[in-house]
Amino acid sequence: MIRLALLLLLAWANPGRAQEVPLVAALSQSAVEVTTGFTGTSLMVFGSTEGPIGPGGDEVLVVARGPTRPVVVRRKVPVLGMIWVNGPSARFAGVPGFYFLAGTRPAWQVLPEDERQRNSLGLDSLPLTSTGARSPAFRAALLDLESHSGLWLENTSPVEIAGSRLFHARLPLPAAVPTGDYQVEVLLVRSRRIVARQALAFRVDRVGTADRIATVAADQPFLYGLSCILFAALAGWLGSVLFRRG
Amino acid sequence: MQVYLPIAEMSVDAFLLVGIGFGVGWLSGLFGVGGGFLLTPLLILIGIPSPVAVASGANQTLGASVSGLIAQWRRGNVDAKMGGVLLVGGVLGSLAGVQLFALLRRVGQVDLAVSVFYVVVLGTVGGLMVMESVRAILRRRTATKRKLHEHFWMHGLPLKMRFRRSRLYISIIPPFAVGFGIGVLSAVMGVGGGFMLVPAMIYFLGMPTSVVIGTSLFQVVFVAANVTMLQAVQLGTVDILLTMLLLLGGVAGAQFGASMGTRLRGEETRALLGLLVLSVAMSLLWGLLRRPPNLFSSGPAL
Repeated sequence: MIRLALLLLLAWANPGRAQEVPLVAALSQSAVEVTTGFTGTSLMVFGSTEGPIGPGGDEVLVVARGPTRPVVVRRKVPVLGMIWVNGPSARFAGVPGFYFLAGTRPAWQVLPEDERQRNSLGLDSLPLTSTGARSPAFRAALLDLESHSGLWLENTSPVEIAGSRLFHARLPLPAAVPTGDYQVEVLLVRSRRIVARQALAFRVDRVGTADRIATVAADQPFLYGLSCILFAALAGWLGSVLFRRG
Repeated sequence: MQVYLPIAEMSVDAFLLVGIGFGVGWLSGLFGVGGGFLLTPLLILIGIPSPVAVASGANQTLGASVSGLIAQWRRGNVDAKMGGVLLVGGVLGSLAGVQLFALLRRVGQVDLAVSVFYVVVLGTVGGLMVMESVRAILRRRTATKRKLHEHFWMHGLPLKMRFRRSRLYISIIPPFAVGFGIGVLSAVMGVGGGFMLVPAMIYFLGMPTSVVIGTSLFQVVFVAANVTMLQAVQLGTVDILLTMLLLLGGVAGAQFGASMGTRLRGEETRALLGLLVLSVAMSLLWGLLRRPPNLFSSGPAL
């Protein structure tokens, strides 16, 4: 399916228009549905370029960012030399709940440092501003924790090139992926400069039962709490009826 | 089989949850405790965010206890009058406990306070239970006669009431105070409080072991319902899907536990529960004392 899409895209992008459009990219899906059976999925980012890509030619970078939320990072400290308790903390505003960066080559190899920092390409260049504890260790800890959760990915797999003008990258979304709007940017790099960019977007939404539960819990908490109590009591009663012995 | 939990916003193996529910439910039926003090740490261990683990744990405790309560009720082991007095204290106590919890949260040391609470309360209760029941077992061996009732200051209090099922004629102030205290503790620790209630009823109120378990389940059901409601309204952290999966195993486990409990003698049951409580306290203490593998932790900012 991906190959067919790539061929169609190539056919559409190439004839006559190649001179005006240096980069064309698309997503395999514009919406991801999170059902109660959701265990993670992956999206395909694919496209074609005007000039040849790969060694000696242009480079392609794909970056995706999820919805942001504030995060608190706490450090444990020993009290009285024995009990470990949460000590100083730093609050980071606008931490992306998902971050993905891939390229035909790593971003730091194809772009000058200032250009890379300005476009926040790479986990080390995310604009994370914090209040509270000042130590840079908190920022490092945040990067470490998020990378381990599988929600922040940098150069885990390269952007694949097919036939020197077609590229595609797999965007893995783990089960814990936050819901909301996602921005995907595809960048074309030539001679260490970004010469073209295309912005794409997709949404991650809860659907079906999962969505109904979350909606009721948020909108009518009293009703939700009451039904949780009743359901649990009913399940308990049902169990005692089913397993009644003697 | 993986299942996506809508409130926890994560995917967990459904069989694992059913299994945990079964184990905890079995203990619930056997000892007459809700099992919240085991369930909540277990859920956190498998990666459920702690607020969701606490709230859904309370909800599961409710269901499992209903199941155990019905099993005990059928055997005539529930003193509803005593349960009612305990409950009035329990509801008032949990309302006060929520205020204490809010205060701890403002001070910013909820984690520490909860852990210390667990270690102190579970350690004391577990230690006392093990000691007392071992002494009782030894006394049974040597066949020394024990006094039927020991009278102390408590029996001089006013507002006396007759509790037929418990074969007691005592003031309602001690059970009310026990209920209130358990209510405060259960709101802070996010548990039903059965593991504290059972020894309090036996050692403080002097109720017979056979009635204690059913009556404590009676109290736990309503306290857990109260906690579920408060959590759902204030924090929105009750995950009904998580609760239902835990209950699927839990209700079955509770029935097996209850029928097994009737075959065990009171002293042995108490010794086993004491050991269990003590081991949870020890592991939590270890968690406080050992150097954490990662000094940093992150969480959503409030």
